[in-house]
Amino acid sequence: MLLRATHTTTYRYSEPVSICHTEVHLAPRPSSRQRLLEHELVIRPEPANLDERLDYFGNPVTFFCLSEPHDTLTITSHSVVALDGQAPPLTGISPPWQEVCDQLRRRDNPDTLAACEFTFESPLIQLGPEFAAYAAKSFTPGRPLLEAAFDLSHRIFTGFTYDQRATTVTTPVREVLKTKQGVCQDFAHFFIACLRSLGLPARYVSGYLRSGPNSIGAEASHAWVAVFSPGYGWFDFDPTNDVMPAADHVTVAWGRDYSDVTPVKGVALGGGEQTISVAVEVVPVPPPAHAETD
Amino acid sequence: MKTLDSPWRYQPEEGFYDEVLQPSGAIRPHWRGLTESILTLGEGGFRERWKEGQRLIHDHGITYNVYGDPQSTDRPWPLDPVPLVMDPAEWRSIEAAVAQRARLLNSILADAYGPQRLLKNRLLPAELLYPNPGFLRPCQGIAVPGGTFLHLYSADIARAPNGNWWVLADRTQAPSGAGYALENRLVCSRVLPDVFKNSNVRRLAGFFQAYRQTLTALAAHQRDNPRIVLLTPGPYNETYFEHAFLARYLGFTLVEGGDLTVRDNHVYLKTLGGLLPVDVIVRRQDAGFCDPLELRPESMLGIPGLVQAVRCGNVAIANALGSGMVESAAPSAFYPSLCRQLLGEELKMPTVATWWCGQEGPLSYVASQLHNLVVKPVFPRPGDQPIFGARLTEVERRQLVSKMRAEPGKWVAQEQVALSTVPVWEDGQLAPRHVVVRVYAVAHEGGYKVMPGGLTRVTPSLDNLVVSVQRGGGSKDTWVLGGKAEEQLTLLPPTSRRLPVSRATFDLPSRVADNLFWLGRYLERVEAMVRVIRSMLPRLTQESDATQASGLHAGARLLQHQGYIKPTSPHLEAPLLALLYDGARRGSLGHSIHLIHSVVWPMRDRISADAWRILTRLDQQFAAEPPPEPLRLSAALDLLNQTVITLAAFSGLTLESMTRGEGWRFLDIGRRLERSLQMIELLQHALAADPVVNRGELEAVLEIADSTLTYRARYQTSMQTDLVLDLLLIDEANPRALVFQLARLSEHLEQLPESRSRTRRPAEARLLLRLLTNVQLADVSDLAAPESLQPFLQRAAADLRQLSELLTRTYFNHAVTSHRLSAP
Repeated sequence: MLLRATHTTTYRYSEPVSICHTEVHLAPRPSSRQRLLEHELVIRPEPANLDERLDYFGNPVTFFCLSEPHDTLTITSHSVVALDGQAPPLTGISPPWQEVCDQLRRRDNPDTLAACEFTFESPLIQLGPEFAAYAAKSFTPGRPLLEAAFDLSHRIFTGFTYDQRATTVTTPVREVLKTKQGVCQDFAHFFIACLRSLGLPARYVSGYLRSGPNSIGAEASHAWVAVFSPGYGWFDFDPTNDVMPAADHVTVAWGRDYSDVTPVKGVALGGGEQTISVAVEVVPVPPPAHAETD
Repeated sequence: MKTLDSPWRYQPEEGFYDEVLQPSGAIRPHWRGLTESILTLGEGGFRERWKEGQRLIHDHGITYNVYGDPQSTDRPWPLDPVPLVMDPAEWRSIEAAVAQRARLLNSILADAYGPQRLLKNRLLPAELLYPNPGFLRPCQGIAVPGGTFLHLYSADIARAPNGNWWVLADRTQAPSGAGYALENRLVCSRVLPDVFKNSNVRRLAGFFQAYRQTLTALAAHQRDNPRIVLLTPGPYNETYFEHAFLARYLGFTLVEGGDLTVRDNHVYLKTLGGLLPVDVIVRRQDAGFCDPLELRPESMLGIPGLVQAVRCGNVAIANALGSGMVESAAPSAFYPSLCRQLLGEELKMPTVATWWCGQEGPLSYVASQLHNLVVKPVFPRPGDQPIFGARLTEVERRQLVSKMRAEPGKWVAQEQVALSTVPVWEDGQLAPRHVVVRVYAVAHEGGYKVMPGGLTRVTPSLDNLVVSVQRGGGSKDTWVLGGKAEEQLTLLPPTSRRLPVSRATFDLPSRVADNLFWLGRYLERVEAMVRVIRSMLPRLTQESDATQASGLHAGARLLQHQGYIKPTSPHLEAPLLALLYDGARRGSLGHSIHLIHSVVWPMRDRISADAWRILTRLDQQFAAEPPPEPLRLSAALDLLNQTVITLAAFSGLTLESMTRGEGWRFLDIGRRLERSLQMIELLQHALAADPVVNRGELEAVLEIADSTLTYRARYQTSMQTDLVLDLLLIDEANPRALVFQLARLSEHLEQLPESRSRTRRPAEARLLLRLLTNVQLADVSDLAAPESLQPFLQRAAADLRQLSELLTRTYFNHAVTSHRLSAP
């Protein structure tokens, strides 16, 4: 399955911005599940300098600086990825979750040691017994890890209200637990807080969702989570759509929480009032004509 | 019984190691020189010497800030006159241990930001790295010059009852206090010059010279004459005094985050003349606050894009970003094994016994021994205090243990050390206090060079075991004996090639130019007010002479207009005295002088020490209690006379000791502008407001304008409005005349960067030229009529206010705020 993602971010300022430094996580990250076929970043006005590198977590990141006065900034990212569309794993055959906790405490191989970085608090995710208590209904003794995680994802999908006005990018997870409202980012943070409070590793995944009538959160960049099962690797869950991502989710970057992989962040000098508009479109690419004749 | 002979009556407590006295009561050999000299001086002599010391502290303006104290931004630095004396042989082992620890911590940082072998080989638990807020992920993999993260390191060390030294804490983020150690030395060596000379105390200058060399060598470009800046979080920081002091001592430019900008991955200093490249940043600001783009986003103290500039190798930062990671107490539990692993050496000086509770063995031990331990969070947040187990009740202890069991990896416990004691001078005798020494090491020539001395701090009382100047502790000079007649060191940098002659002094950040401009304005404003009140007070006491009394009206109208006194005041004496003595009142003289003090404070590195002394004394004079009622008026006149002289001395010293560069220029522009405005307001309220001007008013105006002598020399006793106006407005030879100020302003504007770089005059110069011509061409016989004087003065005042705005917009636009952008 080929998907084309177009992500446009526009800032309009009431007064000119004299200088602006920006860091973006917009290039889809290659993984076992997806290949990156095309990527182009278009920035208007043209930046004075632009650098690309991999961040701490191995995500592609682009840094640029506009040093001429401007009152509009448009960042457009075009990407085409090939998803292998593998069916989600059978959740029942994963190890019991407490066994995973034990392995994470022992950290006796490089994989568990690396995964343990995702068991701690992070800038936007606090831990606590209240999250462990919420998770406990799904994480019953002896239950396979992925089955329990899928159940938790399902409970968030059914028990929480998707509401774009309820939260902001800095709403604390405890608040989300109380109001049970928010957007994909809040649901992902909450899911992660639950797992980490049990001692399980969970990471935040930023990306896109194929546009469609049944996709929640496809009009902007999307977010979901990944859970680590020792020996098998990381498995994605999308609590906003109650699915395990396969052929509809384009992964851009992952980290401990939103703050590690914010799609666009910057600091602008001047500017007065600012308005932001974000548009995302993800559509299938028809296979090339010659492919049919093969 | 251990005591020292009378008159000192020094009597240390049993159970602690005393630095001066052996258990037998004999004085330790390395203390004999000092104690004998002190005894010879006698109590009275010592008291005299110490008075001098306190005067020096005051005059040098050695201060620190207390967080959360709205009463004052700065307090005198607490220094005790009796230095701590260290034996040379013992110091050699301390030196070796501190240098080793600096190497060890540097290696740990290099590993954490590099291959992370310690983590992979399970030598350092993940709990001490991954959740560590000092571990800055954006800095992972950044190559630091020479592999050095810690350019300056400090260790707090203390002596246990058995005589051995222990490390209590490590400072790696931005170690403070080295500058205070140097100031302590400057004061102490002046108070006890004879003893100091005879004791062969090792000198500190070589250490700072090494620090300077290290910083200079960090520059990637302009290696012979790099631009080095000292980055401070600002005047409200606890140790701002030290930042300004070190910047001046080391010859660096003191900057705040807003003074720097990143363009094309290079760091620049925003100066009046444009952007100047910066090679090295000496960081006194926590790394997390240094770049709102890649580090803590909520901080606007930082410089957006700084991390990327560092990553590109275009600027070096000392200490490296991320080096605060090893300040936590918990990892020190692992230092003995890490030292063997990383350096192949045994740790020379132990850390005070430390248990990280993230492992079951230590946790049970800590839970059972809580009464002997001090417990802290592994990564303390601001405001977290150490918990002394001994002070907890049984219930509180149980609660603490259950908190620790819930999240064991977040807690660390340390043995409570019985700190050794030293004598402090208190109420005419010597009393014992607990002592901790902060020792400094600077990266130098591939290793670490240790300061032969340090910042010694003492507890506020004997039953208190926390040394903190923040919480009432004191400090001491630290004398390491065994110095030779050392060669004189200079801090001028050695360079590989000779530098060309330079006329530039300090780079002038726009922010500082702004401050200087306002300093000039405030100074002049205060002087004008003093002169007005001074002209009024004598007129109040003289028996109702009609001429004299009418002289009061001019001043009264002016003060009312400026909002200093209420228009309804029937009696002037009380409100005028309140202007002098009510320091809490906005607009009072005391308040205005305090305002000057606060404008000068952030520019400590640019104001001469003499000028600062004068200002501090003036501030003090106004803070003093007013005299009793019947003498108040006469004392007030005295105070005003003194103030006029002191202000003149301050302005004179400041202007005379400043290089004729842009800083001087902006200070003088501020003065001239304000003096012009004050003259205009005086004339508006004294002459233009009243259709009939009498002799008394004219006399008062001349007196306030400091032009009585000139007027009398020209016109003897005749008093005419047009002649007064000529002298005060148009006479180019009168340094108080409006035209004189405008002519000076015009000269200044010609020399500013905007004028020099353009062929056409900028707006501010054109505006001023028009105003100057208007004044020069004015006809005083016309102006003597209030209906033509008033609009003339109004227009001039409006022009001057516009000039002030134009200057602000052109030169001080650093105040523009930044915004964070964030989008999903």
